[in-house]
Amino acid sequence: MNLSLEKKIPEDYLFDLESERRVLSAILHSEDACIEAYNLLLASDFYSPRHATVFELACSLFERETNPTVVELLKEGHSLGVFTNPRDIEELKYIVEHYIEDENVGYWIQRVKQKSKLRYFEAFLRKTHQLITEEQNDDVEEILMTAEEELSKLTALEIDDRIDTPADIANLGYDEVERRFLRYKEIKELHKGVIPLDGLPTGFDNLNHITLGYKAGDLIILGAQTGHGKTSFALHTARAVAVDNKKNILYLNTEMSREQIALRWGSILSGIEHDRVRSGDINETELSVILNGYSQLRESGFYSYPCPNLTPEKTISIARKFKVQKNIDMMIVDYIGRMDKVDPKLQEWQILEQIVKTQKMLAQNLKIVVMCLVQLNPDGSLQGAKRMKNECDLMLKLSPIPKEELEENEELRKYLDPNYYIYIDKNRDGRSGVRIPINFDLQKQIMKDAERHSS
Amino acid sequence: MVSREQLKKIYDETALLTDVLFLKEKISLEERDFLLSLLEMVIKEKNNDELLELLYKWMKENNKSELDEIIKATALAIDFEDEKSLKDNMQIIRELLASREAD
Repeated sequence: MNLSLEKKIPEDYLFDLESERRVLSAILHSEDACIEAYNLLLASDFYSPRHATVFELACSLFERETNPTVVELLKEGHSLGVFTNPRDIEELKYIVEHYIEDENVGYWIQRVKQKSKLRYFEAFLRKTHQLITEEQNDDVEEILMTAEEELSKLTALEIDDRIDTPADIANLGYDEVERRFLRYKEIKELHKGVIPLDGLPTGFDNLNHITLGYKAGDLIILGAQTGHGKTSFALHTARAVAVDNKKNILYLNTEMSREQIALRWGSILSGIEHDRVRSGDINETELSVILNGYSQLRESGFYSYPCPNLTPEKTISIARKFKVQKNIDMMIVDYIGRMDKVDPKLQEWQILEQIVKTQKMLAQNLKIVVMCLVQLNPDGSLQGAKRMKNECDLMLKLSPIPKEELEENEELRKYLDPNYYIYIDKNRDGRSGVRIPINFDLQKQIMKDAERHSS
Repeated sequence: MVSREQLKKIYDETALLTDVLFLKEKISLEERDFLLSLLEMVIKEKNNDELLELLYKWMKENNKSELDEIIKATALAIDFEDEKSLKDNMQIIRELLASREAD
């Protein structure tokens, strides 16, 4: 019996140059395709070394916030001495001729990925074959264990899928406890009892205290009725994270124009009424205060992406791009009820559930905080609330405090100026069912913890 | 009307042809970079009609005189990413073309 592997496998079964060219051509012609390929492929997935080089050049440009167009690729290739011969350009010409529609890139990426896995499998078979025939290793258990390990790498759905061994869990647990022990010690000794945050600041001391901040991988849902401060809450969060703490944040807005967002910042950062900022009814001193506010914004990590026709797929693509290029720590989607329906046959709650699931996955994969703003029904309930609650790590509801409650509630009387509640409906890591009184100055678009009477 | 795919094709082929001309030493590195940047500018729809008009005017009667060579050197010195460089060099080209016409 002839066991020679070369004779059993036709060579072109192990690679698909056409798919490789189509993926590369898509990268050079579409930013969306580039984002998708960047996230799903490695240079080693390409069979042709020339294709792998083109892919690496394109990725390197993309990481530096340059769209890898043909022109940019040529400039980069020459500066690195990759293209030295007209024949190199001929190959590039052949690549770019393989046009595909943007929406088909996923199919061609999968083709490249599958052939890459197949080559890996073939190499594995070859190695195992050699182990048995040439080295005649007698330890069958060892051969099988090694083979199993190699095969499990191939069958795993994603590159980053992993199974934690008992040792992994034990190490992780000990590291976490040690970190918390040291932090507790630090709180007592250095910060005189004030708990430092585990994640990004929320912009409210009381909420920080309960949540210890928004943590990477968390999905936060903030619900409020129309006109009850969803966008103000989002921008208040953005201020705490991006302006005060200089962390990078991506703000996706489905309703407001660039001008509207920019004007809101003028009011938030100057403390001058929004109506006056908008109409220009301000004096010269106030103009200079506003200018000072914008200089804080200029130095901040706030990136805005107004996008009226946002879809769940688009949020994935935009978030991936900003993670690579700006290393964002947080993304705020304002708001998910305005996202375009991908499938018109789906019910509203099914769409919301699908969106929320996508955002949770995105938060975990990119290790960022994702905050989704949702609209509450007039009675304060939320469509598909149960399913959303299951998916998220923190569910907050923002609502005005009813006048009667302000007058009758003994607890609220301890505060100077409460007018809104942040209700913690769910908190995976801590207390829930808590109402935090805050003050929301609608005119100045400013939110803060409600102050307690000094007595 | 040129379709998106046709436009991509024109862009790709022009860029690659420019690069081949450089590799075959028909044009210099500076000339190649200028042509690629010009192509990128047109395709990204950041059309600078005035610049294109100036270049067209220059090419129409370019007989490689000393003045033509100065115009060319000025064009090659444009930094397309720098608005000021673009504006300043366009002004120089405009003046040089005017003096060529006067001659």
